Formats: sequence, C-alpha cells, structure tokens
Amino acid sequence: MIHLANVSKDYLTDTDSVFSALKEVSLTIKRGECISIVGPSGSGKSTLMHIIGLLDKPTKGTVSIEGKNIAHLSDDELSKLRSQFVGFVFQQFNLINKLTILENVMLPALYARKALPFEAKSRAMELLTRFGIADKAKSYPNKISGGQQQRTAIARALMNNPKLILADEPTGNLDSKTGKEIMRLLTSLNKKESLTVIIVTHDPTIASRTKKKIHIRDGRLV
Amino acid sequence: MNGIIFALRSAVEDFGRNKLRTLLTSLGILIGVSSVVLLMAFGLGLKKYIENQFASLGTNLLRIVPGKILEGGSFRAGGPASLGGIKFDIKDVQSLEKISQVEYVLPVFSKSTTVDIGKRSELADIYASSADIFKGLNLKAAYGQIFTKSDVDKHAKIVVIGPKIAKKLFMYEDSAIGKNIKVEGQNFRIIGVLKAKGGGFGGPDLDSFLYMPYTTAMVFNPEKTFIALVVKTTDNANVAQIKKDINNRLLRRYNEDNFSVIQQEELLSAIGQIFSIMNLVLVSIAAISLVVGGVGIMNIMYVTVTERIKEIGIRRAIGATKRDILTQFMTEAVALSLFGGIMGLTISFLIVLGVQRFFPAYIDTMTITIALVVSSVIGIVFGVLPAKRAADLSPIDSIRYE
Ligand SMILES: Nc1ncnc2c1ncn2[C@@H]1O[C@H](COP(=O)(O)OP(=O)(O)O)[C@@H](O)[C@H]1O
Ligand SMILES: [Mg+2]
Repeated sequence: MIHLANVSKDYLTDTDSVFSALKEVSLTIKRGECISIVGPSGSGKSTLMHIIGLLDKPTKGTVSIEGKNIAHLSDDELSKLRSQFVGFVFQQFNLINKLTILENVMLPALYARKALPFEAKSRAMELLTRFGIADKAKSYPNKISGGQQQRTAIARALMNNPKLILADEPTGNLDSKTGKEIMRLLTSLNKKESLTVIIVTHDPTIASRTKKKIHIRDGRLV
Repeated sequence: MNGIIFALRSAVEDFGRNKLRTLLTSLGILIGVSSVVLLMAFGLGLKKYIENQFASLGTNLLRIVPGKILEGGSFRAGGPASLGGIKFDIKDVQSLEKISQVEYVLPVFSKSTTVDIGKRSELADIYASSADIFKGLNLKAAYGQIFTKSDVDKHAKIVVIGPKIAKKLFMYEDSAIGKNIKVEGQNFRIIGVLKAKGGGFGGPDLDSFLYMPYTTAMVFNPEKTFIALVVKTTDNANVAQIKKDINNRLLRRYNEDNFSVIQQEELLSAIGQIFSIMNLVLVSIAAISLVVGGVGIMNIMYVTVTERIKEIGIRRAIGATKRDILTQFMTEAVALSLFGGIMGLTISFLIVLGVQRFFPAYIDTMTITIALVVSSVIGIVFGVLPAKRAADLSPIDSIRYE
C-alpha cells in the first residue's frame, strides 16, 4: 500500500549545517498491517510519520502510495489524499479548541466535500457514541479529559473512512490506564475493520502490543 | 458553502472570545462607514429638502433675474455676471404679459426691514407683488383673506403675513387679523395670515414674509423697480419658445449678460450638481478613514494568523486545502469589516433619527447598499494578504509549531 525507497530528510540547522533526520529509509507497509515505529526521542519517528502521512516531502528518495509516486502531486492533490487516505492522531490531541467535540469530528468531512452536513453529523455522532463520548458532543475540548480528547481525535481520524491511521505517541500525554485503553482502541480498529494502523512510540511496552515493529535510531532503521 | 458557514461560525465565536479586540479593530471601519453614511444622509436630506421647497413654489414658473446666473446648465463660475446691474420695471411686466401662453407675470419687490406693533418690533422681509402671487406660490390664507387685484389697483395699505411672523408679533395667529402694523413709519392693516408652508432652510422662508401689493410697496421703492419677475405659463405651454420670446423682448432694453430667464428644472439640476460635487468631495475625505480602518483589520489579521499557526497545521493535516484556509481567513476579515460597517450604519441611523427634528437627514437604500458593499470590499482587500500568508504556510511547519 505504501512504499518508501531510500527516503532521506535533511534539515538546515541554525548553524547552517545540514542535519539528516532520516537516512536512506526503505520500508513497505501492507494493507491491514498493524505496525509500531519504535525509537528514542529525536530518532526521526515523527519525521518518518509525517512523510508517510503526506504532510512532508522527503529530501531524497521516493514515496509511493498504491504504486503512485507522490513527488509530482500538487498541494491540492496532496490535501485531497490526506483527507481521504490518512487519519492522524497526535500526542497533544490537536483538537481545535473553539470548535465543539462534534464539530471537530465533522471537520474532515467538510473539507472532503463529500457528505452533506446532516450526513456528516450523523456519522460523527455514530463515532462519538461508539467511543462512549456522545454526551460530550456539545462540549469544548478543554472541558473534557485527556482520554476523551484522544477518543475525539481518533473519531476525527476515522471520519472520512481512511485506509491508514497514523498515531504519533498517542498515549504520551495520558496516564498508563487511559493509555492502555487508547492502545486497545487503536489495535481493535486494525483487527475489526482491517484498517492499517501505524503507531509511533518511544515506549517498548506500547510497541509490544503490535505484531510488527520497526526500530529506528538516529534516522536509520535498525 | 458549508465551509464558509463553518468558517463564519468559528469567526463569530472568535470575536466573542476577543470582544475588546474585535471592537477596537472594527472601530476604524465603524467611524469610516458612519462618516460616509452621515455625509451622504445629510447631503441627500438637504438636496431633497431644497427640491421640495422649490417644488412647493408651484410649477410652470419661469424666473427672470438680473445678471447671468447659469452657464451651460450649471452655476456660472465666479458668481453671476453683473448681478444687480439692472432692475426691471412695470414696462417689462406689461411687455412680457403680451407673449402668448403666458398666464400672468408677477413683479417681485422685496426689502428687509423692521416692523412694529407698538412696543414689539421684529425684523421682517417685505415681499411685494400682484394678487396672483398667492396662486403662483401656492399660498392660502389660514385666517382672514389674501389681497385681491382691486386692492392692488387701489394701492390699499394692507398686508397679508406669514404664520411665523404672525406668531412672533401676536402670539396667536388669528389675533393678528385686523390689527395695524407699522412698517418704516407707515401703518398697514393686516387682512390675512397664511397657512404654514414649512421650511425656511436653504430656500426662501415664505412663512416669515409680509406680503403686500406692489403698488402700495412703491413707498419703500421710490425707483419703482423690481428685483425679479416671475412668469407663469399655461399648462401645456412650449416653454422653450416662451423663453425665446421673453429673451427677445428683454433684449430690446437690456444686454444679454444683464438678465437670466431660468426654468425651475434648470435651477434644480444646477443645485443638484453643486450638491453632488460637494458630497463627492466630503465622502472621498471620509473614505480615507475607511482605508485606515482597513489597515487596522489587516494588522489584526496578521496577528490572528500568527497566533493560529498550529490550528492551520491541524486543519491542513485533516485535509484542508490552501483554498480552504484562504476562505476561512478571508471570511473572518470580511466578517470583522462588515461587523464594523453594520455598527457604523446602526449608529448613523440613530444619529439621523436624533437630528431629524432639526435637519432633514435621510438614509436611502442606496446608501445602505454602498455601506455594506464598501465594508465587505474593505474586508476582502485588506484581508487577502494575511489570508494568503495563512494559506501559504507549510503544513508540516505549522503542525510542528508550538
Ligand atoms: N524543522 C526542523 N528543522 C531542523 N531540525 C528538525 C526539524 N524537525 C525535526 N528536526 C530534528 O530532527 C530530528 C528528528 O525529529 P523527530 O522526527 O521529531 O524525532 P522523534 O519524533 O523521533 O522524537 C530531531 O533531532 C529534531 O530536532
Ligand atoms: Mg516525535
């Protein structure tokens, strides 16, 4: 489904030297896999995830989605692909604070321009109900717990029926009990709906919950 | 479309969160829009008022005045040429009355003077003419009666007075009837008080005049001349032809530059032109404050964009295109500007309502439309650069922004 070939990502640092966050990374992700990307802080996990999620482009190497090289896609095409293909879950939840929980979940559907507002609303309510936070639909993000916010973020990620869920340290801001619940939720998405799920983490115990593990250190797969 | 509604909602919510900032930002637009709207309202009101004043003077009237006043349809630059150079006399009246389709010719003599009734004295204007003056100017008696042709022929020492001066002198209009009034030492009997015509702003104040037969008024007018003549034409008259005839007859006695024959409509359009130009100048000056308001909006929109880089990153990550982000911030800028515009309009309405009793200000739908369109356009023009900057932010840098 996704193939990275010799992907490198260089950053220009403050001292005008080049820093390679990713070095010659090649990997293949198949449909329905559940993978964790494990490595210490600063090893390049987020960079890799952003490239897989089409938020960033590599300095060198190619990224193909369903066999198609994305290097030549326009900004609009990439936006559309992000909207339909990927759902992101972040460590800091990244909900929009001035929108309600329901509106946050509906937002991807509005940008995708596929569903009518009432359809988007009923799908969003369905997801919220499934994750046990339907009663929070009219609340604002800063009024609910971290676990509830992360559930909201997962609901938002699922809104447009993506093929791939990318979760960057999804339990990093949660206590261990809540973290476990969120992990269970993510892995169940893979099992029950055969969604491809990639979980980025520095925590080996979290990583142990996925079948496949990719280890990364200093920008290289190990 | 859904996107815009959503963006609008989130913009309005944002405004609610930053009430003071929103108010201060839209203050520039508010001031600009209210000054433009008020100037237009006052200009329009004044124009309408003067038009009404003239219209109430009666129709089918041609005015003959000394000097050249109009040139090519507008007021002559540098004022009338040789104003006061000539005065008309009874021979002109008789000569013009011979023109076919002329119903009557009113001689007009007027003089500012003081009048008194024993202990009270007031400033007043004498307006002397023939008995047809009341028909010509659409004046009717409220109490007593107006003077007649025979009064004019007899040089009767009588006056018909306007309601304003009647109130000033006698408190109650009807108590003026039959009383004597002294004008420059001469006694006149008041035989009538006119119905109020209203006005007195910009146009002649017909309610304050003392009307008397022009024959009687000769005592104040030893030269027996008139400052103007008013020609009443029949209803279906060929006005252009009559004007030509009047010109020809007057040219036998006077030079071309020494008099003007003016049709009501010409005067109206000339006045209208002056108001349009005056208003345009004032409105343009007021429009500068709109630009200042626009710059304020641009400034605050740049701040908003910087504050919300992370939010922009999140939106891009979940599928927003550059265009979606552009629309969102443009919507906000327009909403901000339109908010200022609507506030400005509201305040203008209140002010116009407040001054209504003293000044005939008037806000028409055109003014409202202009105010709303202009404030939207300002939002677009000054919102586009900040919105473009927001749209052009790289998704990855934005989502990583802390
Ligand atoms: N925009 C950037 N400019 C320069 N260096 C960056 C930038 N983004 C990330 N880095 C660096 O790249 C390395 C990898 O970052 P990241 O992928 O976030 O690591 P991880 O997610 O594994 O903690 C880090 O050392 C980080 O400082
Ligand atoms: Mg990271």
